[in-house]
Amino acid sequence: MAPKRTAREPTPSAATTQASSTASVPAIPTKASLKAKDNQSPQEVALGIWQNYLDTTPQRTKLIDVFMSFLVVVGVLQFVYCVVAGNYPFNAFLSGFSSTVGQFVLTASLRIQTNGENKADFGELSPERAFADFVFGSLILHLFCINFIN
Amino acid sequence: MRWLLSFLLLGLLSVVQAVSSSGNKLLVVLEDLAEKSKYSKYIADLEGRGFSINYESPKSDKVALFELGERAYDHVLLLPTKAKGLGPALTPKLLLDFINAGGNILLTLSSSNPTPTSLVSLLLELDIHLPTDRNALVVDHFNYDTLSAAEKHDVVLVPRPDAIRPDVKNFFRGDGKGGDVIAFPRGVPQELGNTSPLLTPILRAPRTAYSYNPKDEGEAAEDPFGAGPQLSLITTMQARNSARFTVIGSAELLEDAWFDAKVKRSVGLGGVGTDAKSVKTANQAFAAEVTGWTFNEIGVLKVGKIEHYLNEAGVKSNITNPKIYRVKNDVTYEIEISEYSWDKWVPFTPQAGDVVQLEFSMLSPFHRLPLTPTTTTKNSTIYTTSFRLPDQHGIFNFKVNHKRPFLSNLEEKNTVTVRHFAHDEWPRSWVISGAWPWIAGIGATITGWVAFVALWLWSKPVPLKLTTSGKKIQ
Repeated sequence: MAPKRTAREPTPSAATTQASSTASVPAIPTKASLKAKDNQSPQEVALGIWQNYLDTTPQRTKLIDVFMSFLVVVGVLQFVYCVVAGNYPFNAFLSGFSSTVGQFVLTASLRIQTNGENKADFGELSPERAFADFVFGSLILHLFCINFIN
Repeated sequence: MRWLLSFLLLGLLSVVQAVSSSGNKLLVVLEDLAEKSKYSKYIADLEGRGFSINYESPKSDKVALFELGERAYDHVLLLPTKAKGLGPALTPKLLLDFINAGGNILLTLSSSNPTPTSLVSLLLELDIHLPTDRNALVVDHFNYDTLSAAEKHDVVLVPRPDAIRPDVKNFFRGDGKGGDVIAFPRGVPQELGNTSPLLTPILRAPRTAYSYNPKDEGEAAEDPFGAGPQLSLITTMQARNSARFTVIGSAELLEDAWFDAKVKRSVGLGGVGTDAKSVKTANQAFAAEVTGWTFNEIGVLKVGKIEHYLNEAGVKSNITNPKIYRVKNDVTYEIEISEYSWDKWVPFTPQAGDVVQLEFSMLSPFHRLPLTPTTTTKNSTIYTTSFRLPDQHGIFNFKVNHKRPFLSNLEEKNTVTVRHFAHDEWPRSWVISGAWPWIAGIGATITGWVAFVALWLWSKPVPLKLTTSGKKIQ
């Protein structure tokens, strides 16, 4: 989810800037139109971001991102099934879906805490400690979900 | 030795004599003991049915319905008196107290003796209205006795009454063959209020009868008190505690003279009875039925044992009448009902079209189910029903509320707690196939997590290479 979102978000903004630039070509050049003068296509922008992501992201953060996108797929599948096939038994849906969502949230926290660029915010907290918290929280979540699904 | 003998005698006595289901102490209030002879056959009937009778005059000092705060008698028969009042021992208040204490009263009226005002007010209290003319009586020009009242038409001949509703038991039909005639001589008609559900008439006046005051000079009755079946000749009131109160409009109906009398009906509407023969009245049998009903000899219901138990999947639980059930339990309820019939308890069967019902209620009934008779013993019927408790927890009652005209009231309530499912009583998730996708969801999440943790621990943290180009892009 995280890489996709980062990849997607600039794309529409690039598209809008392009659209606005084409509409306001004869008008006074704005800041956005000035920026778009690099003549990059949206594909190129996206590819650039992706390349940048591959270059600058540590391997462990990439691992986290893979896991999170896996969770998004599992969560979407469960939700779609619930919409299509009905929510009986509801506690099973709640526990299955919330286990995925909860795991996603915990993993996102781990990603924030272990990110080298956030060192200023988590100076006290070592990545090992963050990982231990993550494992502890996940175990509680799994136990809760298994108990709740009965 | 002597006490043994007396006990034996007492036992024999109680076996031999038929007795009302609620005791045999009967007080007969009549003005003059000499009047007793007029009712000798009726009284002999009562004694033959096992009543021990005390005779008192209303003026007597000894007459008292209560003794030390308890009922002194089980039943009271009030025969007409000439006195204007009944004295301090038989005030309407005391008579009502007597009913409230479970005593039965049979009240007879007579048009020749104006009804005492205290009795009129007692009847008003029960929503039974008497004609305002003190001498009013029932007259019928189409159903009178030609032998005794050819001139005055004040001996009304009535057939035995039909059941008031098809689903109500008729205790007053005699042998049921029909053709019986009841002579109702010079009776006082009653009108019943609409509001009281406790009042039921036994005998209504024929369609052509009306209330007439013989003191009126006019040829025709103007503005009569009532006419036709609006007039009740014999009225009953069964109180909520099943105490019974009956008004017989004509005390003469009970007299020997009318027990034996031969009557011949007049020509009725549409030429009915043109070839009528003189027949003997059915007064004696009818009086016995009315009196028997009033004095709890017939139409009395009794509940024996009540059982309810868990009956899951057709397996009867050993624990009867548990205090607690769970929602959606399968439960069986059994109730044993007997009916008293003159001298013994017999199995109770509701009239065709009627049914005994069980309510399973919390404030309002969640279930109202018919009870079906399953077993019949010598003197009772066992009614059963099985059902699934509602999906609602709380305090519930098994309630049988059987109130029917002419039958004593049954109101049985057994309170149970209905609890919700315990945590371990729900079906496991894998039993429900609908839950499988979400079990798979949890499984995938946990497996993915385990794989992630393993990879994380296995992988070595790679130091971040911060290139200048990366900073440029950001």
